[in-house]
Amino acid sequence: MSEQVATRSAAATTATAGRRPAPRLLLALALIACAVASIPLVYLVVRAGSGGLDAAITVLFRPRVPQLLLNTVTLATAVTGTCVLIGVPTAFLLARARLPLRRLWAVLAALPLAVPSYLAAYGWLATAPALHGFWASWLVLTLVSVPYVTLPVAAALRAGTTGLDDVARTLGRGPWRAFWLGTWPQIRPATLAGALLVCLYVLSEFGAVSLFRFPVLTTAIQQAYGASFNRSYAAILATVLVLLAILVVLGEQAARGRAARRFGSVAGMARQRVIRLKNWTAPAIALLAVVPALAVGLPVAVLFARLLEAETLRALDVADLGQATLNTLALSAGGALIALLLALPIGVLAARYRGRLVRAVESIGYLALGLPGIVVGLSLVFFSLSVLPGLYQTALVLAFAYGVLFMPKAIGAIRSSTAQVPTSLEDVSRTLGYGKLQTWWLVTARLARPGIAAGGLLVAVTAMKELPATLLLRPTGTDTLAIELWARTDVSAYGAAAPYAATLILVAAVPAFLLSGAGRGRLDGVRT
Amino acid sequence: MRAPRFLTTAGITILALGLTSCAGASPAEDAAAESTGSDGELTLYAGRDEALIAPLIEKFTDDTGIEVIARYGSSSELNALLLEEGDNTPAQVFLSQDAGALGSLSNAGLVAKIPEQLAELIPAGFTSEDDSWIGITGRARVIAYDGEKLSEEEVPDAVDDLIAPEWNGRVGFAPGNASMQSFVTAYRVLEGEEAADAWVQGISENSPVLTESNGATLDLVNSGQLDIGLINHYYWFEDAAEVGADGMRAQLKFLPGDAGGMVNVTGAAILSSAAEDPDALEFLEYLVSEAGQRYFVENTFEYPLLPGVDAPEGLPKLESLVNADLDLSNLASLEQTQELLAKYGLL
Amino acid sequence: MSRLWLRDLVVGYESGTVLRGVSLDVPHGALVAIVGPSGCGKTTLLRTIAGLMRARSGEIRLNLRMVTTHGIHLAPEKRRIGWVPQDAALFPHLTVAENIAFGLGGGRRAARRAAREDRVAHLLELVGLSALADRTPAQLSGGQAQRVALARALAAKPEVVLLDEPFGALDPLLRGELRAEVRALLTAEGTTGILVTHDQAEALSIADYVAVMNDGEILQFGRPEEVYERPATPWVASFVGDSVFLPAVWHAGTVEGGLGSLSAEWMPASGALSEAMPEDGTSVTVLVRPEQIELAPGDAGSGFWATVTAVSYTGHDALLELLLGNGVRCTSRVPASGLLPVGARVTATVRGPVLAYPLAPE
Repeated sequence: MSEQVATRSAAATTATAGRRPAPRLLLALALIACAVASIPLVYLVVRAGSGGLDAAITVLFRPRVPQLLLNTVTLATAVTGTCVLIGVPTAFLLARARLPLRRLWAVLAALPLAVPSYLAAYGWLATAPALHGFWASWLVLTLVSVPYVTLPVAAALRAGTTGLDDVARTLGRGPWRAFWLGTWPQIRPATLAGALLVCLYVLSEFGAVSLFRFPVLTTAIQQAYGASFNRSYAAILATVLVLLAILVVLGEQAARGRAARRFGSVAGMARQRVIRLKNWTAPAIALLAVVPALAVGLPVAVLFARLLEAETLRALDVADLGQATLNTLALSAGGALIALLLALPIGVLAARYRGRLVRAVESIGYLALGLPGIVVGLSLVFFSLSVLPGLYQTALVLAFAYGVLFMPKAIGAIRSSTAQVPTSLEDVSRTLGYGKLQTWWLVTARLARPGIAAGGLLVAVTAMKELPATLLLRPTGTDTLAIELWARTDVSAYGAAAPYAATLILVAAVPAFLLSGAGRGRLDGVRT
Repeated sequence: MRAPRFLTTAGITILALGLTSCAGASPAEDAAAESTGSDGELTLYAGRDEALIAPLIEKFTDDTGIEVIARYGSSSELNALLLEEGDNTPAQVFLSQDAGALGSLSNAGLVAKIPEQLAELIPAGFTSEDDSWIGITGRARVIAYDGEKLSEEEVPDAVDDLIAPEWNGRVGFAPGNASMQSFVTAYRVLEGEEAADAWVQGISENSPVLTESNGATLDLVNSGQLDIGLINHYYWFEDAAEVGADGMRAQLKFLPGDAGGMVNVTGAAILSSAAEDPDALEFLEYLVSEAGQRYFVENTFEYPLLPGVDAPEGLPKLESLVNADLDLSNLASLEQTQELLAKYGLL
Repeated sequence: MSRLWLRDLVVGYESGTVLRGVSLDVPHGALVAIVGPSGCGKTTLLRTIAGLMRARSGEIRLNLRMVTTHGIHLAPEKRRIGWVPQDAALFPHLTVAENIAFGLGGGRRAARRAAREDRVAHLLELVGLSALADRTPAQLSGGQAQRVALARALAAKPEVVLLDEPFGALDPLLRGELRAEVRALLTAEGTTGILVTHDQAEALSIADYVAVMNDGEILQFGRPEEVYERPATPWVASFVGDSVFLPAVWHAGTVEGGLGSLSAEWMPASGALSEAMPEDGTSVTVLVRPEQIELAPGDAGSGFWATVTAVSYTGHDALLELLLGNGVRCTSRVPASGLLPVGARVTATVRGPVLAYPLAPE
């Protein structure tokens, strides 16, 4: 009886915590971040509107537009669905199964993040030149996006409990049913968050679809800039993309809202059973091996074949490569830092408070991810020239662009890691004499640090691969690895591009490795 | 208070980052330097491959002592960038892969007039009509065909033949590409709107393979997946430079006298903010000088536009290729072409 | 002089009012237990005192400082209050000693330095955890965690310590032990304490004063024996202990009911205008505590004969359900030695005066 009462009153505290109004400073910071995130949206409205309504209608009723829309939606849905279908079992195996070489599989599962979609697509094209269209795009985008689902779900599984499964089993449910009742509610928010990133990413993806000649909205936008020099046409198509992104974000929020609110109290007594696979070990390892082999192994093998050609090595300018690598590191680190600064107030707000305003702020924070890089890049050209002309074409503006583009990748990580810090710790800290900011820094941020760091790493790894915004915003004369790569593939000189591609994958593999959790030996030790 | 200190540190880091990794000179200063005299420096937006242009720039700097700060990108992206930058652009010269981009800048009032004595050097038809930009090189539309499946005789001499059922599913092109659209525009001008409409309809119903770029089209032909591709001639030469002419499965067929063999031009414009800049002018003069023109001939296999400089070996004479009385930078006409392509679902 | 002084405190969320005008005076150095069913607002009251929630109206004074009044809200970190939450809420990234030192200010690094200082060592000794100073919270048992939480709250010598169901998650044995320790600790430190609990036995046993809350209001405030022996309302009576309620009729200081004629004390409704005795013949509700009903085996002359219908055995004593000959049902608490089997016939007599309450309005 007393147990029951205790849990009920605890639940009441959590529920009421959500109804507190958000502190003004936090709200103000979140609104600023939100305003920054909506720079591309404002830009789009201005540009799309400049053509007038008639032009917009003409564009939208072109015979090809419904086809582009259908292709975009089909591809995004298919890739997202497949990523969930592969990512959740992969995460389950990584977190719960007894496997030989566990760490290795965890690292391999994160590694596809290091491979830009255009490089993966190129690797496949070099191997099977006949690949094109929907299925090829679906394959490659799925391969490189699976980690977006695997990583958060594996983290949720590690923090969760198998206790609920056990209860379900004792209540007469089979193992699958028990998973559905016990574990799925715990990992559902993480799955949705991952799926959201995948879906928005596919909406905005340009590299692989253009190599595979699969016409979608982003390729049409690129064409509009490329041949029509028609900015309002491009902006109208991009607006359609934004509307799709809004639907996706709202859908995720609705689905998340219905998901079980919080498992924090359960996680406190996290008890985990390790699953022995026995005869299933081989198939499980096959599942774990196939994605990294196809997403990373294949393009890297192709690259190395090119790399070893004598011509390539002779043409290699080591100083140039080194400078590009340094630039890439500095810019992506700066981008990650700015993304974190922007994402922090939004993520903390979303983790701690509810309400329509909070939901709106969070949604807007996510939208930039659904936009192709060229649109975000142009919007920041527009913005920095009108607001900070002195900083135009400096590294700061480019890092800022990375921040705007990829802050959504950090929002989710910050939100979920902050939500896991019990509010009672903050209460205690307040009564012990620390102010709101100090409490946040000493307690909340300290405990959410792994999640915040993961968000930053995710931004950094994505920023390293970014091309369209980099092309527009980089300081004149500053090259990144992605730019060098682009400059060389553009003249079909794939051989010369190989060293840059290999370096890019190597450099990006570092944050991917850290994201796999393999570097967090101490935490794992505590858990087991 | 620890949190604010953290924020300050972060801010300083970003600033430091911004300042240190900004390798080029501050572009804002360049733009601010309203130059009537030479400042020995030039900011160039180059919409062509760095590997091709960088050596030319080096030569220019060696010859004139003018430093060039070059920003490379694709023509379309740099064009979008220039339109966005407007009068605030740090760029003084824009080197473009195609005439349409130059036309759109001209329409937006962002370019300065090219002095007459310079503009006159390039024959009409290969440069702008209103001296808003100057033609630098020419590139012919050609058919690239699979040399293992087809002989040169089997390949049509005119694009009209490509709408025959025989070629169903065997022809590829990049409808979004500016050169391809220029070709359709040329078709409209040469053969009339009705014929052009019929041709676009015919080709769209002949199951064409649509690609994103000329390069991708050529790759398809070269790998045996496509029998015929409509591309620009120099793509073939670039590929051949990497793998050797013998390694090329794709072969070229020029189409003298046919709209499908028309010549597109690359060009350069001086941005209005650099209207009086002697360095910018000197760079343009260099591009259309004999030395500059010969550089393109030898390195990019493009047609020189300066009379008296010979075309690359093995190419048909420039005069044998049609160039209708056609302003390649006429965007109004370009828009009609795009509407035509869109009408049949190609755009 | 009271250490903590609350006046007409009204607190609510958007969805509704949780506290409806709470007033309370807590004397210096006292330990007050706030007891009530879950959802009655007791945790909200505690959070409001700590400054973790804002009051809509009303005043809070700590010592002589006004910390909450019209539109003024002193931040929790400036109230000099100790807070011991239900789940202990130890900082998982700090050791036991660092957790305690955290309250001494300066954040983690300072906490690490201070962890070796006298104050921390003293507190560790007080809570009997000197040997565990370098453990992490994950390595502590529930009782140990609560002790650390208490030591942490006391470290900066706050004027008032607020304890939110600190023993809720502990097993009964540990609970009793810890209760006594907390009591002793607060006394030793001379700190005023407010303890929220839903366990009335806990409240009665540990506190100097008990405040019984229901539905956002304090129904009674007083010493534990007052609250138990003279509960202000039948609801309070049944909340703080086992109760037998019987209908009866008032007759000049006595009540006539199912247990015969008993000497009774009149308990006017709180807020009633007059405390005057009711008229003779007025129907009242009579409260009899089970321990007032004494049993003797068999028919023992005076008293009512009854049959035992159910036995609830607790070890030290037992509650017997009785069916009286006149059809009235009641409960009697007897020492375990006087335990009788179901079906036994007994004689019941009521010892001491009983309380008479006005009938609840229909």
